[in-house]
Amino acid sequence: MVTFAAGLLDATVQAATVLILAGLGELITERAGVLNLGVEGMMLAGALGGFIVTVLTGSHWLGFGVGILCGMALALVHAFLCITLKSDQVISGVMITLLGGGLTTYFGSAWVEESIDGFPEVTLPLIGEYLVEIPLIGEAFFRSTATDYLALLLVPLGWFFLTRTNLGLELVSIGEDPETADTMGVSVFRLRYLAVLIGGGFAGAAGAHLSLAFSGLWVPGMTAGRGWIAVALVIFAQWRPSRLLIGAYLFGLLDAFRLRSQSLSLSLEPGTPLASVFNPVIDFLTNPQIMGTYPYLATIIVLTYAVARTKGDRLAVPDALLEPYTRETD
Amino acid sequence: MADHAFLRMEDIYKEFPGVVANDHIDLSVNGGEIHGLLGENGAGKSTLMKILYGLYTPDSGEIYLGDDRLELDTPQDAIDAGIGMVHQHFKLIPRLTVAENVVLGQREPAATFRADNDDSRLPESIRNNRVVKSLAETFSLGLDAPEQRIQELADQYGFDIDVSANVADLDVGQQQRVEILKALYRDVDLLVLDEPTAVLSPTEADRLFDSLSRLADEGLSIIFITHKLGEVTAIADRVTVLREGRRVDTVPVAETTQADLAELMVGREVLFRIEKDDAAHGDPVLEASGLRADDDRGIESLSGLDLTVREGEVVGIAGVSGNGQTELAEALAGIRELTDGDLRIDGADLTGASPRAFVDAGVSFVPEDRLRYGCAEELSVLHNAGMKAYREDRFADGPLLDYDELGRYAESLVEDFDIRGVSDVTDIDAGDLSGGNLQKLILARELDRDPDLLIANQPTRGVDVGAIEFIREAILEQREQGTGVVLLSEDLDEITDLSDRILVIYEGEFVYETTPENADRERLGIEMTGGRVADEPADAVNSPEAVAPTAATDGAESTDSTADVAAAGDGD
Repeated sequence: MVTFAAGLLDATVQAATVLILAGLGELITERAGVLNLGVEGMMLAGALGGFIVTVLTGSHWLGFGVGILCGMALALVHAFLCITLKSDQVISGVMITLLGGGLTTYFGSAWVEESIDGFPEVTLPLIGEYLVEIPLIGEAFFRSTATDYLALLLVPLGWFFLTRTNLGLELVSIGEDPETADTMGVSVFRLRYLAVLIGGGFAGAAGAHLSLAFSGLWVPGMTAGRGWIAVALVIFAQWRPSRLLIGAYLFGLLDAFRLRSQSLSLSLEPGTPLASVFNPVIDFLTNPQIMGTYPYLATIIVLTYAVARTKGDRLAVPDALLEPYTRETD
Repeated sequence: MADHAFLRMEDIYKEFPGVVANDHIDLSVNGGEIHGLLGENGAGKSTLMKILYGLYTPDSGEIYLGDDRLELDTPQDAIDAGIGMVHQHFKLIPRLTVAENVVLGQREPAATFRADNDDSRLPESIRNNRVVKSLAETFSLGLDAPEQRIQELADQYGFDIDVSANVADLDVGQQQRVEILKALYRDVDLLVLDEPTAVLSPTEADRLFDSLSRLADEGLSIIFITHKLGEVTAIADRVTVLREGRRVDTVPVAETTQADLAELMVGREVLFRIEKDDAAHGDPVLEASGLRADDDRGIESLSGLDLTVREGEVVGIAGVSGNGQTELAEALAGIRELTDGDLRIDGADLTGASPRAFVDAGVSFVPEDRLRYGCAEELSVLHNAGMKAYREDRFADGPLLDYDELGRYAESLVEDFDIRGVSDVTDIDAGDLSGGNLQKLILARELDRDPDLLIANQPTRGVDVGAIEFIREAILEQREQGTGVVLLSEDLDEITDLSDRILVIYEGEFVYETTPENADRERLGIEMTGGRVADEPADAVNSPEAVAPTAATDGAESTDSTADVAAAGDGD
């Protein structure tokens, strides 16, 4: 049982890194008033781009960097459509997810056979040796790939950026009320581009982590809906980086548990009272397909709770989310 | 300095699709002057000020501040030139604190990196390095020093503000003071306030006036946009009056009266006169008492109105827009929730009933915004014509709609109401029609039902002269058929021509009632703009100089009201 728990935690941390990276990027983009539903497509682009470069050069970090750029390239399309052309953000985002899926399946077909040694798992310098010894969580948290540490580090950095820097303040202001920000001399267009590109870069990084550290393989469609979970995670987190971290581990745990639940029989012994009543329920609840819906269910519950509690006045959702900004209208 | 204007806007022209918002306007403001900018809604005041603030680019015209010619492409240009603006709808971000709102866009670096911080551990040479400076201004944020300065400014002008509070937690008066602080923090020389008292209680407005006087005493130039005469005479030095996008006149407040200003503002062109027969008034169709309702922002905009309309009676409601007309019309049509009061249609209590109950009770509604609320722009004329009638039995084909019958119905309306530009009722969308024809379509839909009560809000605003005449006659025809009509309009001619009884609405209350026979334009104009009227004690101190010129001008037109108007003319 202890090995199962430790293994589960290890898988949780790995699954969470993808969600932290993609979710944090989406959070920053949405705080600037742009919804990016293209995360899934951008992640796939990052996963394939990163994988190809790593196969060709052998450098994980070069691959990781190219993955980020691939995500940003698709993000640039989204930014152009939504900010310059003011088209519908939902349509553009879904289109980019489909585009990313299609393009990576086509261009990635030659790379399916390849495999690489993933990002090496390392311990932190100096104190790492001791931290790994911590029972249960030591191995999971303190023997990880560099990208796992990077993701963790980016959460407080993202919080600091949004709340403690001028650029972050301006970014949040264009997500709340672009007209006001404009009257205060903030360049709405430039900053929205920046925010979408940051989001794309984070999504690309999440994808690259997936192929370079998580699996060491390229498989078409390998993100398997994690981009959508990242979008849900931002809502779950109520647009706050700290809650995003908690949510990422929660959703990561559900993901890890889903993959491992088959090996673990949770059903009650046949002789136990009421076993015939509970067992079908337990089987249903631990069915991998049903478990795959848990992140979305959790998001719905959090959203319902948040709406009920604030009575709609002051939801955490950025006020100008989904609103294109044009200066000369009345 | 006195005759050398600080701000000059010369020959400003701005056209929006279909509307000339500013038609070659000149405006000049002296240093340390409070300059009133007076005009009805849609007169072009806000457009002119948005041009001054770099939000709109004028099609032609020049702006000078001091000796410099300004090129204002963005608000940042205006801020840099020393122009500050307090918008009518506050430009504040509720989720941020007062200090964050004030410094937004100013790029205040963290204390360690501030050039003026003597306690900083960083040597001055590093702090003044361009790269370090720019990085610090982007990737850090220091609020301590700004908060201190904002607090000093607040104390200096007597604003009670907690600089670290969230703006969402402040009341409107405080939010407005934050807006003023935003401008002061940027060291502006010229402050523009767009209808600053619209959201304030009278006490808060007085406080604002005190503050503005203090600011002007310190040399700040202030432009004060309003449509309330009392405010102009209370604090402005000079006033420029705009009407329909043109500048009518600029006059020193000391040399004018509220009556003169009202006349300049409302104008007096009469398009035409309609002959109307006396109609017999029957039983009440609408009985409303103590109506209270909030506007969309949650601010009370109807403050206890009583209104009775009888069969065959047209009650005209005059007022400058934004005084509760929209809310009143919507409340009477059942689409705005009442916070208090009772509403009866044909004797039946419909307080709190659904909009459909009002429709079924025979209430027809012509909303002021015909594109947003009067029609579905992207649906055909057929759909729009049948929008209320479709549930009638004659349009039923079993459980389905009988589109052939609806088509014939729509065609008959197009014919009867002379709606032009409709070649095919299924092919032409409502949004394709011109303003006048669309209004006729809406009117056709609303009148063909033979309503018991018609509520028409600004039915002729923005339509051409031919359509205006048609619409007015259609309303009078309803009156002869015994429909009770509530007509809300800013057009005094329309009100006096069509109404049997006139009520003036000001700040959500009926402040004056008269009949067209006894109506006097000047008096109506003053009542609409909240001007003072004779029997108020403040007028006991009238000076002879102020009375004399008014009496002379008004004597020619309406001798019986001269005394009232002359007395009302002298504000402060």
